[in-house]
Amino acid sequence: MQSSSFISRSSQYLLAFGFIALVTAILFTLREALDTTLVALLYLIPLGLIATYWGLGPGITSALTTFLTFNYFFIKPYYTFSVHRPTDVVILVIFLIVAIVISQLVGRMQVSLAAATAREREATRLYELSTALAGLHDDHAIAQILAKQVQEVSQGEAVELSVTGLQPFSFFLPEAHQPNRQPEWVVPIEVARGVLGEIRLWRAAPALTSSEKRLLQTFASQGALALERARLAQAESRAKVLEESDKLKSAILSSVSHELRTPLSTIKAAASSLRSDDVHWDSAARPELIAAIDDEADHLNMLVGNLLDMSRIESGVLKPKREWNILPEIVGSVLARMKHLAEEHRIEVDVPESLPLVPVDYVQMEQVFTNLVSNSVKYAPEKTVIRVRAFVESDSIHVIVSNQGPQVPQEHLERIFDKFFRITAADRVTGTGLGLSICKGIIEAHGGRLWAENVPDGLAFNFTFPLIWEGVSPPTMPMDTETE
Amino acid sequence: MSNEPHILVIDDEPQIQRAIRTILTEKGFKVTTASRGEEGLTLAATNEPDIVILDLGLPDMDGVEVCTRLREWTQCPIIILSVRDSERDKVAALDKGADDYLTKPFGIEELLARVRVALRHSTSKQGTQSKVIKAGTLTIDLVWHIIKRGEEEIKLTATEYKLLAYLAANHGRVLTHQSILTNVWDPADANHTEYLRVYMRQLRKKLEVDPERPQFILTEPGIGYRFIADE
Repeated sequence: MQSSSFISRSSQYLLAFGFIALVTAILFTLREALDTTLVALLYLIPLGLIATYWGLGPGITSALTTFLTFNYFFIKPYYTFSVHRPTDVVILVIFLIVAIVISQLVGRMQVSLAAATAREREATRLYELSTALAGLHDDHAIAQILAKQVQEVSQGEAVELSVTGLQPFSFFLPEAHQPNRQPEWVVPIEVARGVLGEIRLWRAAPALTSSEKRLLQTFASQGALALERARLAQAESRAKVLEESDKLKSAILSSVSHELRTPLSTIKAAASSLRSDDVHWDSAARPELIAAIDDEADHLNMLVGNLLDMSRIESGVLKPKREWNILPEIVGSVLARMKHLAEEHRIEVDVPESLPLVPVDYVQMEQVFTNLVSNSVKYAPEKTVIRVRAFVESDSIHVIVSNQGPQVPQEHLERIFDKFFRITAADRVTGTGLGLSICKGIIEAHGGRLWAENVPDGLAFNFTFPLIWEGVSPPTMPMDTETE
Repeated sequence: MSNEPHILVIDDEPQIQRAIRTILTEKGFKVTTASRGEEGLTLAATNEPDIVILDLGLPDMDGVEVCTRLREWTQCPIIILSVRDSERDKVAALDKGADDYLTKPFGIEELLARVRVALRHSTSKQGTQSKVIKAGTLTIDLVWHIIKRGEEEIKLTATEYKLLAYLAANHGRVLTHQSILTNVWDPADANHTEYLRVYMRQLRKKLEVDPERPQFILTEPGIGYRFIADE
């Protein structure tokens, strides 16, 4: 069956004629030895074969041809179409009827067999397509599979598939093969709510049969269903994300208002008692209350600053203003400023002068060191050592801020960089709960990485960032050494 | 006409106006307030204040714009008020001719210190500028190019001296990276902040007792440097 479809209609007829001629020639040589009735029976064999292999048309035509050659070559008088013996007339008529009936029967059987096979193939294809599409939630993946199947089934020159929607796209199969003529066949990918896309097919010859068109149409509607399902799933997951972020926002809000209220309460209490007559001008409580207002105002300012930084990091507008800076200078100025906070700890610094210049935002990098050191000061017990080390590691700088404080359970090592995440109860430690996540945001904006790890005697914050900035290595400075 | 210095405050927030007015009036200044940029420019032209305190976030126009328009006709000191994290705006305003800045919220000591420096510079512009600058144990003689800590003379390279001289001549004022690079090096080097960082560190090592906690050359993060001398 498969081979016959490749032979065009006319060559089937030619072959049928050739076969008849061959059989006629063989029978002709044996004419004297064979009875007319036997010849008629032998002629039925090629007719059956022709109808079986080449179908109804060649079968019927061969039947008629054989009727004529039988009459011409094998029925006396030879080489005429006239018939003398009445029995021969009967034989001829019966032969014709039998030949036509056989051809028709066999031919019809072939046609319905072909149709059944085609239907089975269609069903297999459809099954393959729907299995491949099942469970896909991505427009691109669905479109790819659909186009591939259309291409395989149609054996077309090219297939273009376009999908509309929020992010419309279209592509060709085979890739970048774009015929410069109108497509032979276009079918919309359509659902009840509207058109989701279009399949365009280029296949000049052979023209698409109606069953092929029907199959491709079914493909399109399968694709449409898959696309619609994907979109519904996407909409659902978007709704879920929104709900989650809503929950997160209210958690943040409640945490923030708690953090803001603490210094505000102090300020309010101190200011109102200074205003009232309860505190005398020369009372020892006076300077203390005033100091509390001042300190808490600073704390409030820091809180607001941190919140602002955080929102900037989250919206992706925190752009470091990078310049070549001296890392020991940054570390030095931070530690000098924090000296009064870290009085109870010993700070060991190993940030050598020989380090190359680093491409960082001065203010942001100061903030990273401030937050990491103040975190260590907060959690590590008094009299312990806080170490700050920096060294070059291939094309990066690696900084370690370690303390001898409590270790963090393995499962929380990542989470301590989350907003408002605290291992200990919030009221035991003052701060915003934002310090570490701001550090992470800043380091990542510098193209680096920040992580925490437990070390034998405590906790270590590590970060690295590249020394190469816009393809340039750290510059070395030509210094003038001549004194005036 | 009274002799007390006249300060024009251009800020749209009534609470800030009230606080600054109360404090400065208490300290013997005459204070005028404006809440919009146009109004401020008009008042500056009619009253000719000694100092302008200008908020960068005004409702009707950009503070940097007010700065530029003021500088078209007056050299009176301008002190910028601005919130944290707007280093870019501050630097822009300073490069457009503002003299100094204060970050909100600020302490009263800071405000008064800025006002004092601004007043000194506005008077020294007309008169003679002092040629010997003292800062703690440091003595910087701008005429003879001699720098001493106590009795000990400190040797500087040519670039270091130029840098120190520029800082000291403008002591008390914030100097942006760009203005230092332009004045000490070359306008073409205005973006080479690394020169500044490296030389500044050298200079601090020679001048400061503890270079990590400088007393004379202060870093104004993201903006520039400020040299602190005796008043």
